[in-house]
Amino acid sequence: MFECTPGMGWRVAASLALAVFTSCPAAAKPIAFADGTTIMAEYGAGTMEEAQAFYAPYYWLSLGAGFLRLDSDVMPRTRNIHDLRVNYLVHRWNLDDAQANIFAWGGLGPATGNDFRGTVLDREIGFQADYETRRFYASWVTDLHESPAYSDRIDTVQLGFAPYAHDYEDLAAWFVLQARDYSGGIHDGVEVALLVRLFKGGAWVEAGVTQSGRPQVMMMFNF
Amino acid sequence: MRSCMFVLCSALAALPAFARAATIEMEVNGLVCAFCAQGIEKKLRAFPATDDVVVSLEKKLVALSTKDGQDIPDDELTSALTNAGYTVKAIHRESESLDDVRARLKGSR
Repeated sequence: MFECTPGMGWRVAASLALAVFTSCPAAAKPIAFADGTTIMAEYGAGTMEEAQAFYAPYYWLSLGAGFLRLDSDVMPRTRNIHDLRVNYLVHRWNLDDAQANIFAWGGLGPATGNDFRGTVLDREIGFQADYETRRFYASWVTDLHESPAYSDRIDTVQLGFAPYAHDYEDLAAWFVLQARDYSGGIHDGVEVALLVRLFKGGAWVEAGVTQSGRPQVMMMFNF
Repeated sequence: MRSCMFVLCSALAALPAFARAATIEMEVNGLVCAFCAQGIEKKLRAFPATDDVVVSLEKKLVALSTKDGQDIPDDELTSALTNAGYTVKAIHRESESLDDVRARLKGSR
């Protein structure tokens, strides 16, 4: 189990407060649409690399697999987690000019790391809340990975602003401010990134830099 | 002979109306992003009677044309959109062609 580092409580509190004030979580939705397949990959500033593939038989359920690598930038500590995951839409609000969602997910799979021996069973649980109009986007995602050897949690808050309201066939452009907090000694402090998000049709690309100048890139395809 | 010609002319004059597929417009709540539209379009195109689909996020409108002589009942359309995760506010049928609807939607932007 990772120890709590000094200041971690403040970082979590700040992240949660930001989530509360923004009212929702961000990042790609774990279920795009019914009978749809989602493939996504993210490079998160050198501390997180993630790839996922899901198929959604219903708009409220998707099943898939993922890979997550965590690489601490404050100590020599890595995690390689493979899991099978189920995503569930807990509730959706279809409003006149907005949509809000609460998602939950759980996963199981083998994990390895460089500060424990062998392979352990990783248990994942996560939640996402998001609120979106055609010009404003806010989301909060919390993702917890636990095993007998570690407990890692990643909280991500995003606020997005679109300079123009896009329509279906347009290229959508968003500017996104992201705050991410890692527990378990993966990163010291809240990692803030400024991102540009572009999507059109089923393709989504997001890229930017953190406050320390590290790149973050995310791609997602729905079909 | 004259009456036969009249019937033939009347039938020819009526052809464009029969040939033009019906346009069904659906007002939908929660339609805010391209992925929403993509999911709805995929659901509606799965109907064998569907000819073409237009989605407008701006107008919160989904318009569909059916193949000649075919229709899709309102309850099946509502079910398809509900099963896609969206809320249907209203469904109405228009005499306007889908191309005209598309042009109207583009013109209003």
